[in-house]
This record gives sequence, C-alpha cells and structure tokens, in this order.
Amino acid sequence: MTFPREKSHFLSEVLDELFDGLYAYAIVLSRDRTEAEDLVQETCVRAVQAVENLRPDSNVKSWLFTILRNIWLNQVRQRRTAPKIVELDADESTAQIAVETSKDPYALYVSKVEREQVREAIQQLSGQFREVIVLREYGDLSYQEIASVLSCPAGTVMSRLGRARSKLRSLLSGSLRTPDRRTKGATES
Amino acid sequence: MNCDECSLNRLLYLDGALIGQKLEDFREHLADCSLCREHLEGELALSCLLREARPLYLAPQALRARISAAATEHATAVSQASVCSHETRLQNVMRSLRDVALPAFSLKPLAVMTLFLVLSLVFIPGALQRVRAAGYVEAATQIHRSYLNGVLPLQCRSRSPEAITAWLAGKTPFHFQLPASQSAPNGKAFYWLTGARLVSYKGSSAVLVAYETPTEKISLLIASSRSAVVAGGAEVRAGGLTFHYRSGANFEVITWSNHGLAYALVSSLTGSPQHSCLVCHQNMSDQNLFEH
Repeated sequence: MTFPREKSHFLSEVLDELFDGLYAYAIVLSRDRTEAEDLVQETCVRAVQAVENLRPDSNVKSWLFTILRNIWLNQVRQRRTAPKIVELDADESTAQIAVETSKDPYALYVSKVEREQVREAIQQLSGQFREVIVLREYGDLSYQEIASVLSCPAGTVMSRLGRARSKLRSLLSGSLRTPDRRTKGATES
Repeated sequence: MNCDECSLNRLLYLDGALIGQKLEDFREHLADCSLCREHLEGELALSCLLREARPLYLAPQALRARISAAATEHATAVSQASVCSHETRLQNVMRSLRDVALPAFSLKPLAVMTLFLVLSLVFIPGALQRVRAAGYVEAATQIHRSYLNGVLPLQCRSRSPEAITAWLAGKTPFHFQLPASQSAPNGKAFYWLTGARLVSYKGSSAVLVAYETPTEKISLLIASSRSAVVAGGAEVRAGGLTFHYRSGANFEVITWSNHGLAYALVSSLTGSPQHSCLVCHQNMSDQNLFEH
C-alpha cells in the first residue's frame, strides 16, 4: 500500500483547516467531549488510510464529514442505546489557545457569553436541525455538500436550514441586535 | 415577487447565491415590503451572531498534536526509500492511534491518555518529542495567522532591536536579546524588524517578533525550551544549529532551539529550506552557511 505524497499532504492541510468544524460536528452528534475527540481521531485515521482511493475530483470536505457521521451512526447502532447527555462546558479552559490572549477582557467576556448562548440554543434544536446548522455555519459546507453528507436532497437541506434558523432566531431573540450588527459579508454586494 | 417567494430566496440571498433578475426582484420586493425587510434583518442579525460565536467548539490542542504527530509520522514514512518499511511504520502509527481510539468510549480520558503515552513511548521512538514539536509548530502557525488577520496587533512597534529588547525586559520568564539587524554590503535591507508582542504558549509568556520583507510578513515565535520542543521536518544544519523545516497549511515553518529557547519562524515563503533561509541571508556574510 503506498500513499501518494501529494494526496497525503493535501489531506493534512484540509484536516488542519477543518479540525474545529469536525470537532464541532462531532460534539453536536455525540454531545460528549471525550466521544467527540475519539470521533475526530477515528475520522482522521480512516481518512489517512483511505486517501489513496480518493478520486482527484472528490470533495474532500464532505468526504471527511461523511466519514465522521458514518462512524457515529455505526457506534450508535452497536450500542443500541441513546446517547448520553453531559455538561459540555465543563472543561472549557482546556480549549483556550494563545490567540485568545489578544482580546481585551470585556470583549472576551461578551464573546464567551454569546458563544455559550449560541451553544445552548443549538443544543435545544432537534438532531436534524442541529446537524444542518453546524455543517452550514461552522463546517462551511454548501447545501449540496450537506445533502451529500446527510444523503438527502439539497431542497430538504434548505428546508431544514430555514426551519432551524427560524427556531434559533426565536431562541436567541434576546441576543439578536439589528441592524447595526450586520457585517459587510452578509449584506448586498 | 410575493412574500412567499421572497422567503424562499432569503437563504440564497444571505449566501450571495441570488443573482441576476431574481436578485433584482428580491430587492424590489424588499423595498416595498416592511415585513420581509424585518425578516431579512432578523436573518442578518442571526448570521452575525452565529459567525461571532466561531469557533463554536475549539478542538483541544492535545488532540491536534496527536493527529498532527501521526500525520508527520506518515509523511516521514512516505518520503523514505522502502515502500515495505513505510507500510509497516505507518500501520504501526495508525494502529497505535486506533488502539487508543477504540476503547476510549469505555475508559476514562485519563486512562486513555496514559495508555497512549505508554504505547507511544514504547513503540514509536521519539513520538513524544514529535507530538510536542508539532504542537509548537501548530501554535506558531495559528499565532502568525492571527497576526496577519489583525487579531494579534503588535504591542511594541519599532525597527530597533534594542528598543524591542528593552520593551521585553522583565516581561518574559526567560532572558532574550534581539540581535542587531543585518544589511547587505550595499546597505540595502532585505528584511526589517517591525515590532513585537507577548503571547501565551502552554500557559507561559512567549514572544512574537514581527519582521517584514518588501513583499512578506514574517513572524518569529520565541518560547522557553521547557515548554516548546523542536523536532521533525526536513533538517538543515548550519552554524552549529539544526533547523527543522516544515511546509503546509499555506505557511512555511522553520524551528530551531538555542540557549534554552525554542524559535519558530513562520512565513508564506515557498521553496526549499535553504531557499527560505537565503531570502534574508542571501547577501550576508553568513550566506555560505545555508548553501549546501
């Protein structure tokens, strides 16, 4: 078994870029940090093993998220028990990185509070809604890529996303400020 | 366009995927319909809030380092001569990871980490060194990216090494002195110092020193060798030091250690390790050190 150096190198770069997105998706699926870590690790292991079989036109991003989802589904089937729900924010400190030190304390506080609110709101969504929101907003997958990961039509993805966003707007109504918080990227070009 | 059609096109509009006549119709409807404008503003505010919550969850550094180490091991295996031995080494690495990954669903995290460390130390010589080295490279790359994005502004701006050294005095747990800038014989500078700031690495203060060339921003992360390890990558020996060169994630990273400090030079320069060094050293008295 040989691994083309270019593919391996490319995969390494893609994994680096998608790492947080994969981890967020793993947490959304498993709702447990330890299991999420194992899911990401197993995904990487399988990806490295299978990278030689990737066609040049393959979509690596959706391929990786699909691997992660399939591993999770297999584990759920094997255990045949409902996933346990644990407190996700218990070890927040372990996720701190050097970059965070650049923000001033107030900005850090606001950012942390908002992130916690968003996490809580997302956790209140149904499993289907959680998946599409995280894949779209934090995995940066297109509708078509999400459809590929979830094995459903792109129209279904858009419909779920619309309803998920509507629910999130309702859950986060207290945190939403309009219109001064708009960003250029979201406005008309 | 009516309100139902406007609603259907809202997500496409937010993604910038609404174009041509449909975009014109959408805008026209918005101009006349306050309810749809209100809905759109709500969607924009939600998008903004979701974006500001990024990253929703940060993957632990230890996990990154573990996988990065496996990838490094794999890359090393690929680059060596014997295909057969590569497979064995790669399989060993992946097996060691897998051996840890599978029982992790039933064991306590501490036990898993301990098992992983023991296995790594027994079966993969130097694995711990490589994991820690990969973690330092990863941190240096992230810090460089944040510096480029403006997330990590310089706290001290100066072209004077002496001024930077003076500003750093007493702020770090290690003693550090920037060398004087070197110029080419004709007096033309190939790179220059722009400033510095403090950052955190593994809970201790580290220093980000920023340099520029006419086309490039370069950062140098300096941390104590107690917390930062340099190893792996393509090795270049020069001036009694060993430089470790890595290329990936859009950046080139050169690490080395000297006098108890670990250095990581990050740039977007492409080419061989020697080429990267020669960008700054090409016309200097020590250029021959890098021309092998």
